[in-house]
Amino acid sequence: MRYAFLDEEAKKEIRRAILKAVAIPGYIVSFASREMPVARGWGTGGLQVTLSIINEQDTLKVIDQGCDGSVNAVNIRNFIKSVTNVETTTSTKEATIIQTRHRIPEIELSEKQTLVFQVPMPDILETVEPNTAKAKIMHANADYSKLWVLLYEDTSQFGDSRISNRYPVLVHNRYAMDPSPIPKYDTPKLHNSKALQLFGAGREKKIYAIPPYTKVEPLKFEDKEFKVENFEGRVCQRCGCENSFLDEVYDDEGKVHYYCNDTDYCDKNLNMKGQK
Amino acid sequence: MAYYAVKGGEEAINNSLKFYSEITQNAQALDDESLIEGLTFSIDKVISEGSLYSKKLASKAIKRSAGDLLNASFFLRAHRSSCQRVGECKQLDVNEMRLKRRVSSAFKDIEGGQLLGASNDYEIKLLIDIKKDNLDFENFDKKSSVVKSALTPLRNDNLIKKLPKEETAWDITRTFPTAPYPRSAVLQTMTRGESGSVLGFAYTSMRGYGDVHPTIGDLRVGELDIKFTHPFSKKEVKIGTIEATAVECVGTFNKDEKGDTKLTTGFGFCFGKNETKAIAMSIIDLTLYNRSYSVGTEQIVAADFEMIMHHVDGIESFGFCNHYKLPHYVTFQTDYQIFKSAQKYVESKEDNK
Repeated sequence: MRYAFLDEEAKKEIRRAILKAVAIPGYIVSFASREMPVARGWGTGGLQVTLSIINEQDTLKVIDQGCDGSVNAVNIRNFIKSVTNVETTTSTKEATIIQTRHRIPEIELSEKQTLVFQVPMPDILETVEPNTAKAKIMHANADYSKLWVLLYEDTSQFGDSRISNRYPVLVHNRYAMDPSPIPKYDTPKLHNSKALQLFGAGREKKIYAIPPYTKVEPLKFEDKEFKVENFEGRVCQRCGCENSFLDEVYDDEGKVHYYCNDTDYCDKNLNMKGQK
Repeated sequence: MAYYAVKGGEEAINNSLKFYSEITQNAQALDDESLIEGLTFSIDKVISEGSLYSKKLASKAIKRSAGDLLNASFFLRAHRSSCQRVGECKQLDVNEMRLKRRVSSAFKDIEGGQLLGASNDYEIKLLIDIKKDNLDFENFDKKSSVVKSALTPLRNDNLIKKLPKEETAWDITRTFPTAPYPRSAVLQTMTRGESGSVLGFAYTSMRGYGDVHPTIGDLRVGELDIKFTHPFSKKEVKIGTIEATAVECVGTFNKDEKGDTKLTTGFGFCFGKNETKAIAMSIIDLTLYNRSYSVGTEQIVAADFEMIMHHVDGIESFGFCNHYKLPHYVTFQTDYQIFKSAQKYVESKEDNK
């Protein structure tokens, strides 16, 4: 098997798509998208991006819904390792490439890191315009009126947008972008990130990017606050931290417990406590 | 207490794979030859949807997935990605097919005759055996097995609407087009499409959402030679033979680009023996390029390029459908929180009334 699975022609194409995406923040770039040995919808876009940029000097971290130990993360990490032989880690700090599904790590990323998102639906306009040809014209004209109408209708009926995750953002005052199904909690982390953020949608054959230090704002009305998930003073029962996205876990007796969703962050907190 | 809920993925995967190999181990014992010969239609479905013409690899894939044919096609597609492209073969002409079967429902008698070949179309579908008479085979003359499409006389008389010819065919596996989609890309998407999806979309246009009731102008199953220009000698060489199905269906008449009234046709082509899929494909092709004469134009899903280009692929739709099995606890929790606050908002609004 060749290095990083993909043939050189495919890697070249994907790297070109990435460069174009970085040059036009938030713009959706088409690419051919090879079939991967992992099913469509299971991270093949992120996988192709990662395999095209990875080399022997990299240290890889893969998370799925915040967790390194989750089945999909384990599967993808093992596959990438088997075709590249790179070092892998669960530590957010040590990783140079972090492939993620549905979360941005709790700790701030650095300039030396690249965050690769697995994306199911790359075009935010899909929520309001299923026809991709029409959506492309709307993007070209920066015509996001349908999104604003949706936001208005939701707000008038339910008090806020009904969009709970993959909340629409405006990148560099130009393109409305789908940030992949991260919780609203993570949306502010996209703004001015020191790390390069790459988005790969395998099934939909699209790549887009947010270069480091780019302005990213959630789409919202001036007089409405952007509300993120709220854990009402709950703390992680494992590490005791009060400032992370928490998972609700039911035990065998049906009792609810709360734990950090970002397992590496939780482990680090525990370690620090142990040292004190 | 159960923090284990989110860890231990590695072990879980290994165990799950072990269980899977246990329930599928009998399939591995099957012999490739008998699978290829015996379950020939399964093999053909897999090479067609997997878009890789290798009966041997298809057999391997079917065994690996213990008869789950969609899964088997997925194996072929993944394998295909790891193969380096050698080049392009010479364009095939289905008129040059060595026929094993060829029927036309548009004409009672045609040049070369109706040739039923191997088909169970007219079998009475009973699981119990009924007594069959001894059959007397009429052996088919190999020399006359190459016959042009039954629509050739009409085409020669310039009665059939022609679509503009593309200079070079698109290759959707190298670059996926954005709208407007070239016809070669549309046909490629359909020929790789999942049989059931292609059939489902075609059925919508035959039944309530469109009015395409085509006639089969020419349906053929047979062999085609694959020719390739030798990279050194630059001579044309035959590198192999494939089995394929091709269909030309005829719709009603319509105006062509010049405004002349012509008969419309649709084309379907698949690897292997895939008659239902090829007919369905030809119907969608016909519908896509002739939506103007259909009733209820807005609602005809099979005439919508976006609908066809993005929804017939089996590997894509099946993968995405199954991805719902992946953990979604973060996304579900965000949904739940929004639901709770919306509920509160609506209730408080009603209280204030």
